[in-house]
This record gives sequence, C-alpha cells and structure tokens, in this order.
Amino acid sequence: MEKELVINGYRKSFGKSLLYTLPVFLITFVFMSGGRPDFSDPARLVALLVTFAGMNLLYFLMHYTGRTDRYRAILFIIFALSLSFTLISNIVQMRNSMSFSQSDIVECRIPFCHLVIPMMIIPAAFTKSIIFPGSIIGGFADISSMVILWLFATIALGRGFCSWGCFYGGWDDGFSRIRKKPLLKKISDSWKWMPFALLLMVMLTAAMTLVPTYCDWICPFKAVTEFEQVTDTESAIKAGIFISLFGGLVVALPVVTRKRTQCSFLCPLGAINTLSNKITPFTVKIDNEKCTKCYKCTTVCPLFALSREDVNGGRVSVFCSKCGKCVDVCPNNAIHFGIKGVPAGSFRNFSRNLFLFVSFIFISIFSAGSIINTIQSLLNFIIS
Amino acid sequence: MKKIKIISGIIWAFMALIIILILFPGLNSFSVALSKLPFMKINPNFAGGDAAFSYVQERCTLVVRKPVFDGLLSERKHGFVQLDWRGELPDVISDTIDFDRDGGSDFVVNLKRNDAVTVINPLSDLVTGLNVSVPTSYGWTVRVGLKRE
Ligand code: SF4
Ligand code: SF4
Repeated sequence: MEKELVINGYRKSFGKSLLYTLPVFLITFVFMSGGRPDFSDPARLVALLVTFAGMNLLYFLMHYTGRTDRYRAILFIIFALSLSFTLISNIVQMRNSMSFSQSDIVECRIPFCHLVIPMMIIPAAFTKSIIFPGSIIGGFADISSMVILWLFATIALGRGFCSWGCFYGGWDDGFSRIRKKPLLKKISDSWKWMPFALLLMVMLTAAMTLVPTYCDWICPFKAVTEFEQVTDTESAIKAGIFISLFGGLVVALPVVTRKRTQCSFLCPLGAINTLSNKITPFTVKIDNEKCTKCYKCTTVCPLFALSREDVNGGRVSVFCSKCGKCVDVCPNNAIHFGIKGVPAGSFRNFSRNLFLFVSFIFISIFSAGSIINTIQSLLNFIIS
Repeated sequence: MKKIKIISGIIWAFMALIIILILFPGLNSFSVALSKLPFMKINPNFAGGDAAFSYVQERCTLVVRKPVFDGLLSERKHGFVQLDWRGELPDVISDTIDFDRDGGSDFVVNLKRNDAVTVINPLSDLVTGLNVSVPTSYGWTVRVGLKRE
C-alpha cells in the first residue's frame, strides 16, 4: 500500500484532500437532506448519515490515495445492488410479486429505465409517441425524468455514464472483480462491436413492431428488476432468455474473464454511449513520452477499450468509460484523465480533479435515494 | 491554434460541470418541459386509444375508446378497440357494443368478473375476438381484436 502511495502521482496530502472534498461534502449534504435533515424517523436519519459519510469518505480517498477505480467501483456496485433492492421492494409492495401483469401494462405502470431509449427514437420521430407502457411524468421512474438524467449525464460524461451512472453496470463490474486473476484470457475484442449490431437490430425491430423488443425479449437485468408474469410458453421462453443472459454475461463470464462482458458485448445503450464519447469534453489520454509500453493498462481494461495497438498509437479508443482502472495501474503515470484539446501530459491533475468532481457529483446524487432507502429498510428489518 | 484548442476544451469541461450542477435542482422543470413535447405521449398500442364515447350505466360507466390500428408509417391490418368499465362493477357484465357507431351492433361482451371469464360474440366480420381482459385499478378493461375495413 505504501509503495502504491509513493508511485501514484495524484496523491494529495490529508489537508488538501479534505479541501478538495469540501465542495462535494456541501453539495451532497444539500441534496441528500434538502438542507434540513428529518429527525422524526431515526432509521432514515441513520441511513442518510451513513450514506453521506460513506460517499464523502470515498471521494476523500480518491484524492488522498490518488486511486480512482477502487473507490468508484465501491459506490457503483452499491448503487446497482441498492437500486435493484429498491425497485424490487417497490414492485413487490405494489403487486406482491416481482413480475408485472397485463393490468400493469394496460394501465401504463411499468417503471422506465434508460435501456429503452434507443428503441424509442424511430417510433417517436414517425408516430409522435413513446412505445413504452410507463408514465410520461410523475410516479416512480417516469419516462421524462429518466430521459433527462441520462441525456445530461451522457452529454457531460459520454460513455463515462457506463462507469459513473448506470445502475446496471455495477452488476457485471462487481462480478468481474471476484477473482484476482482471469481464468479465460484470450477473448477476441472484435466482440465489442456486437452492441452496435444489436443496437441496429433492436431499433429496427422496435420500429417495425412498435414494441421495445430489447426489453421484451433480451434484457438480462429483468432477472434483477421485474419481468412479465409467466403465463404461457412465450413468457416462459422470455424468462429463460433473461435468466440465461444474466447468468452468462453478467455473472459467469465477468467472473472468469475479469471483464464487463454484458456492457462490452450486449448493451445497445452502451453503443450509443460510446458514440457520445465524441462530444464529451473528458477523455483518457496517453503521454507517449512516459509510456514504456508495459501494457499493464490493456490487461486490466474491463471494456476492451484499450488494445496494444491503441497504446502504440498513443490514444485510448472511443469505447472508454473513464472508469480509471488503467490510470490506477500505470506504473509511470503515463495514462491519465484528460480534457479534449489539451495535449497529453499537460494539466493532468487539473483534468482529473475536474472530471472526478463532475462524475462524482452525478453518481452520488443519482444513487443517494436508493442507497438511503436500502439502508433504512435493512435497519427497520433488523430493529423489527 | 493550440492555445485556442486548450481554452475551448477547458471551457467545454466547465460547461459539463454546469450541466451536472443544474441537472438535479432543475430535474423537475426539465422533465415537465420534456413531457410537453408533442411526441411525449404513450403510443395508443399501449395506452389503448383516446376515449370515443361512453355509456353511463347503473353504477358504472363504460368508456369505449377509438379503435387502434397504429403502425409506424401507416395503419396496420389488425388492431383492437379498448373498453373500460369504471366505477362499481356488477359481477356479471353483458354489453352489446357498436364501436364505430354506424347503427349496427359489432359484438357482445359477456364478462363474469369472479371467474375472470370473458366471452366475445362477434356480430360483425371486423371483430376477430378477445385480445386482453384484465381487472384494473378503476374497474375492468377488455381489448377486442379488429380487422381494418
Ligand atoms: S453498457 Fe449498458 S448496462 Fe453497461 S453500463 Fe453502459 S448503459 Fe449500463
Ligand atoms: S481505457 Fe482505462 S478508463 Fe477507459 S474503460 Fe478501459 S480501463 Fe477504464
């Protein structure tokens, strides 16, 4: 640990790290408590304090140790778990089951998630309507709020959304960290183009059928959120597909490869987020003068965003989600967070500080509600 | 040129910061503004179509929606008409429907709520049968399959 701290070029002193944490401390306090903590429910107050303290500690450690990915991943994985917990408990409370029925569809009561967005685009343009049985505004996970959250985050962070915002990404990120070393090392990185093929397929099939086909037939996260009631052969086949894809791409393959295989090989929104990397100001850069071509960064990249050719060419590919894993392992501080237009090697601390601030503010406020709810429910369960 | 690139990059990065800082306080207003755009309504294939007319019955109201044939570019060959019974529903419902209001009955719906049994008797060639019959928070909804004329 001591050695890591010495070689890491982004490490700050205790006082400086505190100073850098102060703005996040104030902003998260205002957003989590509404400026006025509610003292009437002790379990909620404790949940709020634990979430608030935990998040600020993680941000402090990012500055104090100079490491990004380790602390980002903790929050990202907790977000995924707590969101699924909140969603499932809400759904079970509403319907006494994790599955939704025809009545929920007829009454347009299905919670919306950002993975539907690619399929909405063509029908919205031609039919002036949204092909999803959810609520346009108001209620739990309404369409308007979810679209705004994704849109703003994607403009600001590009594919950074996939490591700092998506409440599904934490699942395969978590499973990819279970083993210390991968069992399966050789996977062709041409599979990373698969989400683009799937994106095209689901956009076209959704346009033709006016049904969000990815949600209806493919989405592996149905296994940890909600799915159609199994009432006939078709719904049984669908449930089988969701569970197999979750087991294969979100659990098994990430464990044996240490890669985020669902995000790399399947998610159609990941493909759109990849394209949005073209507009975001933040990027990851390679300083050719410092790089010794040890390729440690290419081995750890969980999203196949960094090949040896990329390193030799001195640039990170458009698939990068700015998770910071490569930045953390580079022994020469050659790979770093950067800003487009600013040459590699310059303003590295400034770029990292600004990127961390923007992305951490997003994930902390976005995730706070579900984390607080989860801790509160656990506390209530323990007390009762 | 290099300096201009650096300055514009940094300005864009600060704008990204502003985007995230205004996102959460402004989320409600941005969402309301988005929800008012013309395409922000649920497609009738899910929402069931606009109400066409209603029959006020003893303790409930039957709302007949406009038939839905919506496709991407043009109308589809097959669609449905949605009927909503709202209010205090009797256990057994039997209604004769003229959904296109041409003066001729199109089908009869027989619904036994307790057994969740719904039978459609078509009286017109345009009616293909029962698509959906479910209890709802406001009463009961039935969708009856239709062919386009
Ligand atoms: S690839 Fe898809 S599931 Fe993975 S983090 Fe990105 S949007 Fe989420
Ligand atoms: S290139 Fe680096 S920052 Fe980008 S996804 Fe790969 S490991 Fe993460």
